[in-house]
Amino acid sequence: MNKRMTRSVLGVAAAATLLLAAACSDPGSSTTTSGGSVDWPAQDTDLTGTTLTIWAAQNSNTIPDSVVAGFEDLTGAEVDVETIPDPYEQGVQTKVATGDMPDLAFWQPTASQLTALNAKQNLLPLDGAPFVDAYSGGLADMTGLLDGTRYAALITTPAVEGVYYNKEVFEKAGITDLPTDWDSFVALAEQLKGDGVTPFYEMGADRWATQWWVQVQLAEAAQDGLWDRVNANEESFTDDTIQGAVDEYEDLIDEGLFNDDIKTATFEDQGKALLNGDAAMVMQVNSFFGQLQQLADTDELNQKIGFFPISKDGNVGTYIPDQSNALVAFNTGDEDQEAAARQLLEYWLGDGYADFVAAQSTVSLQTDVPSPSDVPQALLDVSASLDGAAGSMQALAVANPDLYINLADMIQGTKTPEQVTEATQQQFAQLAKAQGVSGF
Amino acid sequence: MTTMLEPHRAPQEELAPSRAGARPGRRSSSDHPLWFLLPALAILAVFFIAPTVFNFVYAFTDWSSFKSEIGFVGLENFRDLASSGTLLADLRITVVYAILVAIFQNLFGLLLALLLERDTRVNRMARVAFFVPVIMSALAVGYVFQALLEPDGGLNAMLSFLLPGQVDVAWLGSTRWTIVVVALVHAWKWMGLSMLIYLAGLKTISDDVLEAARLDGASGWQLFRQVKLPLLAPAVTFNVATALLGSMNGFDVVQATTEGGPGGTTELLNIFIFRTFGQGLFAQATAMSLTLFLVVALLAFPVIAGLRRRERVL
Repeated sequence: MNKRMTRSVLGVAAAATLLLAAACSDPGSSTTTSGGSVDWPAQDTDLTGTTLTIWAAQNSNTIPDSVVAGFEDLTGAEVDVETIPDPYEQGVQTKVATGDMPDLAFWQPTASQLTALNAKQNLLPLDGAPFVDAYSGGLADMTGLLDGTRYAALITTPAVEGVYYNKEVFEKAGITDLPTDWDSFVALAEQLKGDGVTPFYEMGADRWATQWWVQVQLAEAAQDGLWDRVNANEESFTDDTIQGAVDEYEDLIDEGLFNDDIKTATFEDQGKALLNGDAAMVMQVNSFFGQLQQLADTDELNQKIGFFPISKDGNVGTYIPDQSNALVAFNTGDEDQEAAARQLLEYWLGDGYADFVAAQSTVSLQTDVPSPSDVPQALLDVSASLDGAAGSMQALAVANPDLYINLADMIQGTKTPEQVTEATQQQFAQLAKAQGVSGF
Repeated sequence: MTTMLEPHRAPQEELAPSRAGARPGRRSSSDHPLWFLLPALAILAVFFIAPTVFNFVYAFTDWSSFKSEIGFVGLENFRDLASSGTLLADLRITVVYAILVAIFQNLFGLLLALLLERDTRVNRMARVAFFVPVIMSALAVGYVFQALLEPDGGLNAMLSFLLPGQVDVAWLGSTRWTIVVVALVHAWKWMGLSMLIYLAGLKTISDDVLEAARLDGASGWQLFRQVKLPLLAPAVTFNVATALLGSMNGFDVVQATTEGGPGGTTELLNIFIFRTFGQGLFAQATAMSLTLFLVVALLAFPVIAGLRRRERVL
């Protein structure tokens, strides 16, 4: 290569690199959506020729089936449900960050997860939607909001963290009254252990359920503004409240109240253990019940499985909406598409809602639409416990650190309870800082 | 040994000057205009140079999924990383994993190559069988082994059948030994490739040399230790370097089997990066991958240089 050639080759390479570097801005950026209310088209407005895309996860991609069929018949629109592979949230976040957007997507309607999608830029505000007033109880104000603006439409009952128990095991042990606070809950477990029954079953290998044990103990504190203080950096995970809950969890494990194979047990093992009566209780959320529904029919479940919420001083449930509970609509920049997306949500929670809850055998969120008769009792109890429930970390904290991984590490013995809260706080601060939360 | 190698090397040295002399000179610039390079350069720039440059640039920003602006923050990401113990702990795990994989993969590969050296029909079939895992999806391999190694999985069922009593070892449950198990799985997947390269190395050893050694009364072990192994040195260099540096970037097998558990004892740096990226902290994840890139580069040069020097000494 002669000198001139070298120079021009280098020049071309440099130019190409510069050109690319010039495009070095976040491709997911666009103009901020306005917070004002928007027009909501009639549910049966003709949409022939319009195609709407819904992103769904592997465990939520069949949820829209009845709604999609009904909506396509009514409006002539075409609705594509695209499955984003697991881990769903990461996949969606990465796609949106690189400028790829659907019209609608299943999304956890919590403030932290709405922030993670950069809702103010990327999502359509749903204020003034006709379905907001149709929600029963306090559901409308419970979730789906970020700084006072509604970005997510709740379609099914948010999950509640609480105790699923085997009724037959309780009966055999002569237990008739359910625990009324944490102390009676632990006393009950100790009594069961005395009778030779494994009181609690935890899935240390699959990790994610570990955090429920800490969060349910924080229900009253959460109602008292715990997460607001954590969000403002006025209180830390390492302070007494949260640390105390982690210590308590560790103590219960040390006391031998959990299954012997806590380190290697999985989500599947947990479901089987409770159904077979190998363990008396499991601290879990709604998806656990979904697991049970795959193992047994409604009659068997009604006969065997019960649910009660538990907290430090009483029976306050802790709600944690997840991705399959709600949808968000995207600010795609195309007004017709956006209007069509709103119309679909309107139909979903409007004329299509009765069919939807019937097809899903799920609890209805609306006063005017009754729940179908084949909903298992435990799910009705879960839904009832939403009244007066406290928000989980996911629902109320500005960020969602990997508390569950740190707790699982504690179960494996590689972290102390102090290291659990320290690592969690560190990650929380990092996330809060990245979001530009003041105080971090 | 050196005298033995010399005849091999000599022809190459003779070739070198003649190749230099045949350089076409001026003619090429008219036959092959420079701008013919542009499409290739553009592809190089878009798919190789730009991502690498961005990997450097984004590491010094606050790029995240939470906001649209990207601002420069200097070395802050690296300061945060240094202050948290996770990076160092995960880096240690990654290096241990890479060394274990390099050892196992080469050991298995070499043993297989020696066993299947002769070109019989059975050996050919066996070679194919051992090469199959190489072309399998790493995630599939991971999930298969996860199922096999579960406490009530296939391996324990087999052991329970063969041994007296019920075997229910949690093969992926030990905070100390799981790293060895996942390294073995990784090595199992890639040993076919090492085998192939060692086989190619063995094929290049001249029969004359082996025959001479045998006539001199060398035993099977001496034949291997004194003749084959030294002549396999280039294959060792390639295999050790690729296994070591490849597994520094390991992710799929471990993610599928343990997700970094139990208790974070198999959390490779790439799994931590994946987790950080998933949290929306894109800049921090980029800073970590830059760190990994630098560590791999720092490790690569001395390792390869050392192995090459060894080739020459042998």
